[in-house]
Amino acid sequence: MSDDIAVGIDLGTSYSAVAAVTEAGASPQVLPNEWGDRTHASVVSFLEDGSVLVGNDAKKNIITNAESTVYSAKRLIGRFFFSDEVKKAQAVMPYRIVEGPNNAVRLQVRERDLAVPEISGLVLKEMKAIAETALGREVKKAVITCPAYFNDNQRQATKDAGRIAGLEVLRIINEPTAAALAYGFGRDISQKICVYDLGGGTFDVSILEIGKDVFEVLSTAGDTYLGGDDFDDRIMTWLADDFLTRHGLDLRQNRFCLQMLKEAGERAKIEVGRDGVASIHVPGICQSPEGEVLDLRGKLTTDQFNRMVMDLVQRTFKVCDEALQSARLTAGDVDAVILVGGPTRLPIVRNSVRHYFQKEPMSGVDPDEAVAVGAALQAHALLNRNAAEYGQASYLLDVTPLSLRVGTVGGFTEKIIEKNTPIPIEKSKTFTTSRDGQDRVKIRVYQGESNRAEGCELLGEFEFKGFRVAQRGAVQIQVTFEIDSNGIVNVSAADLETGQRTSTTISLSSGLSEKDLRAAIDHNAELELARGPRA
Amino acid sequence: MDAQFLIEVETLAGSLDQLDYFAILKLPQGATPAELKAAYYRESRAYHPDRFAAFPNAALRDLVGRIYRRINEAYTVLRDDRKRARYQADVSGPDRAAKLRFTEVEEAAVKDEQKRKLEEQLGQTPNGRKFYAAALVELEAARLEGAERALKSALMYEPENARFKEQLATVQRELDKGRAKGDVFKIK
Repeated sequence: MSDDIAVGIDLGTSYSAVAAVTEAGASPQVLPNEWGDRTHASVVSFLEDGSVLVGNDAKKNIITNAESTVYSAKRLIGRFFFSDEVKKAQAVMPYRIVEGPNNAVRLQVRERDLAVPEISGLVLKEMKAIAETALGREVKKAVITCPAYFNDNQRQATKDAGRIAGLEVLRIINEPTAAALAYGFGRDISQKICVYDLGGGTFDVSILEIGKDVFEVLSTAGDTYLGGDDFDDRIMTWLADDFLTRHGLDLRQNRFCLQMLKEAGERAKIEVGRDGVASIHVPGICQSPEGEVLDLRGKLTTDQFNRMVMDLVQRTFKVCDEALQSARLTAGDVDAVILVGGPTRLPIVRNSVRHYFQKEPMSGVDPDEAVAVGAALQAHALLNRNAAEYGQASYLLDVTPLSLRVGTVGGFTEKIIEKNTPIPIEKSKTFTTSRDGQDRVKIRVYQGESNRAEGCELLGEFEFKGFRVAQRGAVQIQVTFEIDSNGIVNVSAADLETGQRTSTTISLSSGLSEKDLRAAIDHNAELELARGPRA
Repeated sequence: MDAQFLIEVETLAGSLDQLDYFAILKLPQGATPAELKAAYYRESRAYHPDRFAAFPNAALRDLVGRIYRRINEAYTVLRDDRKRARYQADVSGPDRAAKLRFTEVEEAAVKDEQKRKLEEQLGQTPNGRKFYAAALVELEAARLEGAERALKSALMYEPENARFKEQLATVQRELDKGRAKGDVFKIK
């Protein structure tokens, strides 16, 4: 057995966690930080002295140090600047979101432009530090999880974030698949299961068939615009509207008030889920024009809350329908339902899931820790050549969540690889020149389910050069599309007749260039993580 | 990892392009869906790239990757009833060597063929469709001569339409029968 170690990291929208298998045959452990916290807010606060504070302490700075504290960066990772999600974030986030090169997103913090993977890279750096302290050794390798419904851009950016943090990313695995692994590993079961993963910012459903050591994902579906944050938003809106009618002041107009409101919303959600009723009191949330200091007060009952969020909960079941249909199953065929993510603690979610599947969701799977635990199992398996020999083998047969397409004339697209196809997979398509003497061929690659290019996500434009120059139609270029085990797309091309590989250039990509990536790695290494005493 | 396995991997990777999907999954052509799944799991346990992730031998990992991608491709096609039926016909036919890998291009060709057949049912040109529709109305009303006229007109626009020709032949046969009896208008 090698002396190496690799950790599993659940890089969440709101909270992250890190876990590891410390020795062969041992069960994976979630690694706590020095204060005993097992989950850590995915919040990065840039302090005045140039250091960065990450985690639950940084979360407190969202209000006091709003412009220099970045949270929910995962909502922005791998997105183009013109996307709806970025526009929405610009309106509500206290930190500055600006446009970078190639339609990329940059966050402006303390006079510096940071790419989104750099922020996630700092969260990962903190996870790495926590693991190193807990294990008492250096950690260089990791498996990082991402939502199953993440597209290629988002996966690539997540992988970049790992590299920026100084980690060798052994694999990007899907969060529901990791949770399924945590549930079924070493239990020798044969079941069809559904993983219902409602996180802070995304919702995923995966249907898996477990056959002892084989975990076959039958289908996956999701909504990258639906999560616990949306539940908070509903409470916020209700509180703010109520305050507006009482005092004639809109709390959403001021970023400081908005953050206090957001915090109150989140707290009320957790309280109402736990106790059935939440009393909200934020003293001194703002001042009236007359100089009177006003408090925010409210009482939220379960009934009220359920009515506010019922449509969001219903939306998750549309996604479940879609996943079951792709797997050619009905809700009754599912042997076990696993809940993952903080919001699944809410009674309304649990009850609705029970009602939909006509089955009690599995207990014994920790919704906050299952993903990190599964990632740690996979990290351990990838590092050890002989895992099979001591019964540690498990095979994840995952799928691609979105269809891969190429752009054709008139703004249409043509499907190359169907969604829910097992990965890794490759498929070739032959293109031909359309003009005499043409020396390059450009293709645009998309992911999505629409026939129209505008309904899909652009992954990039690939340009092939270096094939024979001849009359139009005489040269045939075979383009091979490969989706690897990380769900990341690779495209290569060759002259069909001569077999000569052509050179490939990617333009119009949202990712970081190699040069930017190196600069980011250096910058990340320079930044020091603040480890102040806890108040 | 023993030398035996290395040789096995190299031989298999080298012969991928000569094998059909059944051979890749080591299955008989008549395999049931349950057998297909069992074979897929068995081959996954043997060739899943994760098993070899920690091996320093990059060439081996590359070969295993190639094999496993083909295993996934085979499973994807064979688990789909429609694709499997077509694939099975392809590899049993004379073009076997060229059709060992299922391509969506052929899929598109099949769709075009279906579309063409459907269009032929109704006509491919606006005028062809118009006269053919008129012919059907005449037939419905048992006016055979009208139907014959309309079908002949339709065929002027689509001389190759097999469906039209067939219909015209039927109508003309009916007409001949009627004429033989000298009772043109009472044919049902």
